[in-house]
Amino acid sequence: MGPNVLYHCPCLSTSSVPPPPHQISSSYSFHPLHELFFCEECDAVRCNRCVSVEVSGYYCPNCLFEVPSASVRAEKNRCARNCFMCPNCRNTLSVVPSDPPDAGDGRLLAPISTVGEPPFFLYCNHCRWDSSEVGITFEKPTGLAAQLQKLEDSAPDSLEFDRLKEHFEPIIRASSLSSSSTVPSTSHSRHHSNPITAAASAALARDIPGVGKYTPLTRSGRSSGKDRSANKDEMPEYKSRLDITKASAYGSGGGDVDVDFMRRLETVSEVASLDQRWTYSWSTSLETRDLKPLRIPLHSKHSKRCPACAHILIKPEQKAQSVRYKIKLVAANYLPAITVALPHQIEMLGHISAEATKRGTKSTAEDDRDTRGGLQAGKTYPFHMALTNPLYDPIQVRLSVQRMHVAPSGEGEKARRPPFAISIPTTPFSVAPFAEAWEYEDDEDMFALDDDELEARLSGREKEPKAKSKTVGVLEKRANVTVVGGEVALGKEARGEIKFNMLVAYTYRSDDPTPSEGHDISPSKKAVPETKTFAFYTVVDLGAIIPKDEDSRLEAYNV
Amino acid sequence: MFKGRFSVPPETPRSKTSFNPSTPVTSRITNSQAQSSPHYTTTRRHSLYGVEDRIVIDPGSLVWKVGFSGEGRPREVFYPNAKSILKGLWDLNRASDATQRAEEGRILDIKLEQSLRSVFHDSLLTDPKARKVIIIENPLLPLHIKEALARTLFENLQVPSVSFASSHLLSLLAVGRITGLVLDCGYLESVALPIFAARPLFSQLRSTPLAGQRFLSHLRSLLLLFGTYVAPTSPGANLPQASRSMRVPPEVLTNEVLEQIKTRCCFVGESLAPVEAVDHGPTPDDSVATSSDIDMPPSSDPAPSESEFSFAGRESGVSSQQDSSEFSVVSTPRMGGSGRTEERSGNENQAQALAEMYMRHSTATDLSLRVEPPASMANSSSLGYGTIIIPGWIRERTAEVLFVGGDVDEGSLAEVILDALLKVPVDLRKTLASSILIVGGTSMLLGFIPRLHVELLRALAPQTPPSSVSPNTSTTEPDKSSQTRPRYDHYASLRPLIPYISVVNNPSPPPPLSDRAKNNAGKAPAFSPATMAWVGGSLAGALKIGGTEVSREKWDEADPEREDPDASVAESTVRRAVAGSHGQSPPSRNVLPDWTRIPLASGAPPAASIATSSPMRTSGARARVGA
Repeated sequence: MGPNVLYHCPCLSTSSVPPPPHQISSSYSFHPLHELFFCEECDAVRCNRCVSVEVSGYYCPNCLFEVPSASVRAEKNRCARNCFMCPNCRNTLSVVPSDPPDAGDGRLLAPISTVGEPPFFLYCNHCRWDSSEVGITFEKPTGLAAQLQKLEDSAPDSLEFDRLKEHFEPIIRASSLSSSSTVPSTSHSRHHSNPITAAASAALARDIPGVGKYTPLTRSGRSSGKDRSANKDEMPEYKSRLDITKASAYGSGGGDVDVDFMRRLETVSEVASLDQRWTYSWSTSLETRDLKPLRIPLHSKHSKRCPACAHILIKPEQKAQSVRYKIKLVAANYLPAITVALPHQIEMLGHISAEATKRGTKSTAEDDRDTRGGLQAGKTYPFHMALTNPLYDPIQVRLSVQRMHVAPSGEGEKARRPPFAISIPTTPFSVAPFAEAWEYEDDEDMFALDDDELEARLSGREKEPKAKSKTVGVLEKRANVTVVGGEVALGKEARGEIKFNMLVAYTYRSDDPTPSEGHDISPSKKAVPETKTFAFYTVVDLGAIIPKDEDSRLEAYNV
Repeated sequence: MFKGRFSVPPETPRSKTSFNPSTPVTSRITNSQAQSSPHYTTTRRHSLYGVEDRIVIDPGSLVWKVGFSGEGRPREVFYPNAKSILKGLWDLNRASDATQRAEEGRILDIKLEQSLRSVFHDSLLTDPKARKVIIIENPLLPLHIKEALARTLFENLQVPSVSFASSHLLSLLAVGRITGLVLDCGYLESVALPIFAARPLFSQLRSTPLAGQRFLSHLRSLLLLFGTYVAPTSPGANLPQASRSMRVPPEVLTNEVLEQIKTRCCFVGESLAPVEAVDHGPTPDDSVATSSDIDMPPSSDPAPSESEFSFAGRESGVSSQQDSSEFSVVSTPRMGGSGRTEERSGNENQAQALAEMYMRHSTATDLSLRVEPPASMANSSSLGYGTIIIPGWIRERTAEVLFVGGDVDEGSLAEVILDALLKVPVDLRKTLASSILIVGGTSMLLGFIPRLHVELLRALAPQTPPSSVSPNTSTTEPDKSSQTRPRYDHYASLRPLIPYISVVNNPSPPPPLSDRAKNNAGKAPAFSPATMAWVGGSLAGALKIGGTEVSREKWDEADPEREDPDASVAESTVRRAVAGSHGQSPPSRNVLPDWTRIPLASGAPPAASIATSSPMRTSGARARVGA
């Protein structure tokens, strides 16, 4: 992974200053720009961790059928048409007729057009699993899930569950009646004065079954042995529809039959993996050959709202086939996009990738890049940051590096983390507006380059990878992109990763201090320019430092 | 926690009838079947969009189960720590350093948030603002995690209400009971909790860290010592399998591979016969003497797959490994290499003796599992997958670690149950002993529950010879265990209960010794032990008894600064420190109900607990404080 820039969303902490980048938890506060939203009302960046999500539509990812939300629940968030997944490889299953009349294979992908023999079954084109192995066949090639639904409804777990409910319901009703009949007499007299005391007295007044019977039972009950089979909680005994002893006799409940099967097991693949069977709450067979086809889970389209002001940030079009959005306030339309590159690495990358393809193994290639294209301790490297302006107005950008405080935590590695010095241009510079080609020359005067910068820019343009004359400063401007150079000086004992937080503040003209809602992102150009400043944090990750000792060892080897 | 909501059944008239339970119950059932198809009773109650169904979340440290109440199975089960499964979201330990702890807290918050958001948005596809949530909590769930869960649910997802319900009680509901002794054998720890009439007797709770995590680490070390790894073939040199065999490199045993072995290969064999264990106890010289014939499988071994990888191949695998033994960190206690016998340290000798004893008591087949070769060992010439050969006895006997107690803080599973039973008031013992329920993911191991039953009986057996209770305690400290046990017959007072002991979800119960055992053992519905708590949560949600609700208004109202007057000084300072170290996150609020916040009863503790509580385990406090 090359050097990258991530953007901060302040939702995880109360302060707007991001956590120091060497903390592991800090990585969760930073996101790639394309994952972020921008709320115009709050003038703030929002991320996928803080927005509130609403489902705006359900669809099956396989057949793209839009499922009305009313039937989603009954269908258990699964496609209720013909979409099934292979239980072994999660591939989509296709419906095939059982006995193709002609000599050809007859395994067609489109089941509707198939005119086959009536017992249809599901077939996996990848692992060749077919549903007749588990005794699932269909009379018609359509509405398969509906045909299977009956099977599911009569599943032992749901039947047992309902029986349990029927077992408990009268008891709970009776007890709530009894408690409400004993207590209200007292609470009535108090005019419902205090619900807490009422509740407390209700709790006290209620009988604890076994305890109430304590004395008589110890005297008579135990000696007579009448309570041999009764529990003392005086709960009517629940009789299972199918108890575990009977269930395991068929070899599914973890009893002796299963243990025997396991003891004689020949190949691991005969046993289904945990995730293939862990959603079954009923004791099910362990064996792979008993797995049932899975209905494909539905997906949903989400619309997202700002957590603070509840304005919609993103709203997809309803149709499942469409990938467009009705409302789309993404941060990429508001914040300048920043990319970072290490020129010396880019240069090396060509060589290495060529060698890596020859060698063919990934790990060795990575090692190589670390030593040659990497960042070695005790050296100084230039880096380039390219800022792209998405706005229709020019922006003035000021960059500043957040001060690194070396954490004195006793973590060994982290504590020894040496300061690496970052130097980046601190003077504001401009980034030209995003514009159509014919508008582009408009704001030429805004460039206002001083001489060095111009020179740097020229030099950068001429020999881009090696800007030796000047590395810190504005290197290049083209269209709505400005490239600035920075430099990182690594300490001799440096190790770890070069990661630093950078505050980006940009000023743009805006005629409307409170921009109207909608996704019209261009603050239109008017006569009276009013400037606004927005600042956000980023973390710049230049990559891992190659420690000095390794480096010296290498050198020794070379000598 | 259920005290408030789960009201108690009426007691007067039924006590008579319940003595003869068969008739009324059966009649009730025939009625219910005559009514209507049970399916419609569920669907009828739901409105069109079914918003009143609650979300039931069983957040384990390793595996989460989520779904809607009123359904018989969870909608989705997943590892919350998807990047590195088997690294739970939390652990029994917390960092002692304040800054590290704060960092841990932040990461936990973030991961919980991630998981909870994905529950609503990816798994259940539902709007959190319209859904009440039931969180199934283990009684030893640390408070800071509970707070973090509630904080995320209320503040990030803005759910209308959250209620916490005890996993043990819910498991009991799932088997149609409100009284029982529940052992939840999960990933981090196993917790036994007696529950009477829907009231969890929290003060009688017992726990042990012998659970899934311990199983896995044991499995890992056994495989490292006794497993065989066959490197992938090279295209040029067509080496025979024998010369490619080697000891299992640690990098091969990733968490994923271990989990796979645990869930697909391992099971729990019958208990080791006590007589043999005494005879061939782990005496090192014995094992060395017999090591030659241990190499060959016992003649009774029915395993046909042994022939697949010949023993000759294995021998040469050992010899090839002998050459490279200087590279390996652990000097191998693998059988066969007789030349190295002298070099073995005592510890390995014990491991070897243990292995031999297990081998003798196992008839399971060896299995081979294809694994991806580790990146460090991959060279350009090797192709395809490597193979781990898992000896059958490892598959069968790894679980022994759960049935062998360690020191006083790590009682075996049977001991934990019996200790809890010892603390229970005498009148309830018979009732609870006859309705033991085993739940939790680790108890999904095949044969686990029958074996635990046997272990319970054995721990209670009269004149227990010291070493036969735990034939391989000697792996840790052979002398100590033999000293502590005979001096004091710990479970003497429980011995009369032997005929009554019955595990309600035992799939193959032994022949009952009493009517009561007969009526209870194996009579639970065949829900799988791992999902039982979830099913109970779903049931509680459907019956609207899902624990004390905390509404969002209440959460928002709660003043974060206020201290709980009930909390003990020590606890509140700890909690304050925890909350403070969270940094940006608001300090803990005391709106969440928790049994540790209930003031203790002022009366004298029951006599039983005084008598037996001498080596007090303060596991509850330990886990809560997180020391």
